[in-house]
Amino acid sequence: MQLIVTAINKDYANISAVRNVSFQINSGDIFALLGPNGAGKSSIIRMLVGMTRPDSGSIMVSYQHEHYDHVPRRLLGYLPEDRGLYPDKSIEKNLLYLAQLHGLSKPKALQEMAHWLDIFELTDRRHEDLKQLSKGNQQKVQLIAAVLHRPALVILDEPFSGLDPLNQEKVVEFLKALKAQGMTVILSAHQMAMVEKLADHMLLMAQGRVILAGTLATIKQQAAPQRQIQISCTEPVTIGQLQQWLPGLSIEQQHATRFLLKLNAEQRVSATLQQLLQHLELTQVEMQTADLHQLYLSAMAQHQLTEQA
Amino acid sequence: MISRQSIIVARWEFLRFFKWKQQLISYLVMMAIMAAVALWSYFTDESRSVYRIAVPAEFNISNTGQFQFQRPTIALAEQLAQLKDAQTWHGVLTLEPASAEDSAAEHSVVLHTLAAKKWQQQLQTELTRHFRQQYATELNLSPAQLAQLEQPLALEYAYLDQSFKGKDTPEKMIALAVLILLFIGLSTAFGQVLLSITGEKQQRVTEQLYAIVTPQQWMDGKVLGHSLSAMKAMLTSALVMLLVFIVVSVVVRDDGVNLSWLNWGVLAWLLPFALLGVLLSACFMGAIAASIDDPNTSGKGAVMMITWLPMLFTYLVIDSPTGNAMTILSWLPLTSFAAMPVRLAMVDLAWWQPALSMLILLATLYWLRRLAGRIFLRGMQMYGKEPSWGQIVGWALSNKAD
Repeated sequence: MQLIVTAINKDYANISAVRNVSFQINSGDIFALLGPNGAGKSSIIRMLVGMTRPDSGSIMVSYQHEHYDHVPRRLLGYLPEDRGLYPDKSIEKNLLYLAQLHGLSKPKALQEMAHWLDIFELTDRRHEDLKQLSKGNQQKVQLIAAVLHRPALVILDEPFSGLDPLNQEKVVEFLKALKAQGMTVILSAHQMAMVEKLADHMLLMAQGRVILAGTLATIKQQAAPQRQIQISCTEPVTIGQLQQWLPGLSIEQQHATRFLLKLNAEQRVSATLQQLLQHLELTQVEMQTADLHQLYLSAMAQHQLTEQA
Repeated sequence: MISRQSIIVARWEFLRFFKWKQQLISYLVMMAIMAAVALWSYFTDESRSVYRIAVPAEFNISNTGQFQFQRPTIALAEQLAQLKDAQTWHGVLTLEPASAEDSAAEHSVVLHTLAAKKWQQQLQTELTRHFRQQYATELNLSPAQLAQLEQPLALEYAYLDQSFKGKDTPEKMIALAVLILLFIGLSTAFGQVLLSITGEKQQRVTEQLYAIVTPQQWMDGKVLGHSLSAMKAMLTSALVMLLVFIVVSVVVRDDGVNLSWLNWGVLAWLLPFALLGVLLSACFMGAIAASIDDPNTSGKGAVMMITWLPMLFTYLVIDSPTGNAMTILSWLPLTSFAAMPVRLAMVDLAWWQPALSMLILLATLYWLRRLAGRIFLRGMQMYGKEPSWGQIVGWALSNKAD
């Protein structure tokens, strides 16, 4: 399947929730929507789910040679941000109900349920009422409910929220399994480390606008053209000495013998290291790249500065 | 017209509230309460005890099974003292000259007793009978003449309107029973619809369901499921009514079961009207409940009780089945499900009248069903804000699907 979103806008009363947002998602991709609260992620998700319609722009879906101007319900699995199931019903009854609504026969639904419950280690608890489960386990049931019918497109709004690190890792594995099965996944999240492990493409948003978009590599290119080298030397030196040997370079001291050198686009790594080796004996040299969390913070700070200007 | 998804939602909703064990227990509890009330009233029934009443020597009243009238020779003050201290008597009766205001009576009767008790009302009945008998004797009236005087006027009615079936026909009883059953059914649906729709909103299930079924499928399922619950409550109550009738016929009257009074022709009209009425009311309740964001703070829940009005309005004019009020009610689509069956039961109508009324009711049901679906969708799009009445009216008048 392919999803093409072109220049969508959405206003609520006096608030412009989504402004001129475009992106494309291909079959089997994991696509992440990133941004602070109120950035417009959930508004985009609600438009994709069909709960609201864009004021302008288009959402086009192609699936098995068919074309749609919306995401058809039968192709969709959805985990809303505000979520819940029937607390006084068992896991099995909850999932069976939703699976049958999705059009699965009872035997097929039970078969799929057994598969996913096993993955999330909930098989023995399938007859327990939902209210008896921990929040994390309830969240797992919600995730199963979203994919039980093996939809072509899975939209997960904050799938990691409320989960401990171990369960967050389980969800990462779960999402990788969905990708392996050919499902396309759209997720919104604040857990950058998780997104970094998963997402093929991402969209960083603020105040309804796209700030950065692309693969992790292209985003790194756009957001952090600065490269960093961590060096360790045999004898202590001062920042002053280093700045004398490497003029124009930004340097951060991390230890008496360890420094972080920040290079801009014009400064070359090889030339910098050759210059250093004339004065110092280096024991370790490590190229460092900014992680998604740092990129996110730096992009948001940059956005705020631009807005203020 | 009804999708597979709606049927699944309906089944889920019906079974969600159908807990046969609890229902059986509630019936048993109800029967136990009724038995306790019956036992309590049997053991506290004062009519089975014998009461001693002191009366003046000249008071010529005969003893009854319940009251023994004694004529002590001691003074009144002493009688009252004995009543108070030794409870020799349950009461002391004195005849005193009538007051100036009550010139019609020769004397007034005073009962001196410790405190108010139920047997005193039964004594009053006995005394009334005694004095009436005494006045009749004074007027030289024979017992037959007295009985005639006491007989109410037997007014017979000769109705010229050939279509009117009669005042207290078995059909009227059936119509009344249907009104009661509708009331029971809609009361059941009222609680369930409110709990189910607002509960799903509060438990955050609604948004997930929206991604699976359309608002209309969801609303259709809810309406159908809760209508089934209402009908189940009506059927259970009807069976209880029938059971009571059979017990009274067989055990109390020793008559055997005779159901020849059941008019199947009327019933054939009555049931579809009742069914459509339940569906219509469930649609209305669903529409209102869908507009409620938080049942704890919303005032809209009480509006759902409007669905009881058709039964109340019909009941108030049930004794004038050919009147304008009943005619109007039987054509208005929001009240016809209650009024037309009553009219049908009591008045001979041309077949097209109930048929047309039912057609209008069906059209209204279709419109209200669509409106309920629209309100659910629009309510969801408002995210935590409750729509105003103005907005709801606007949606009702608009034909836009979303």
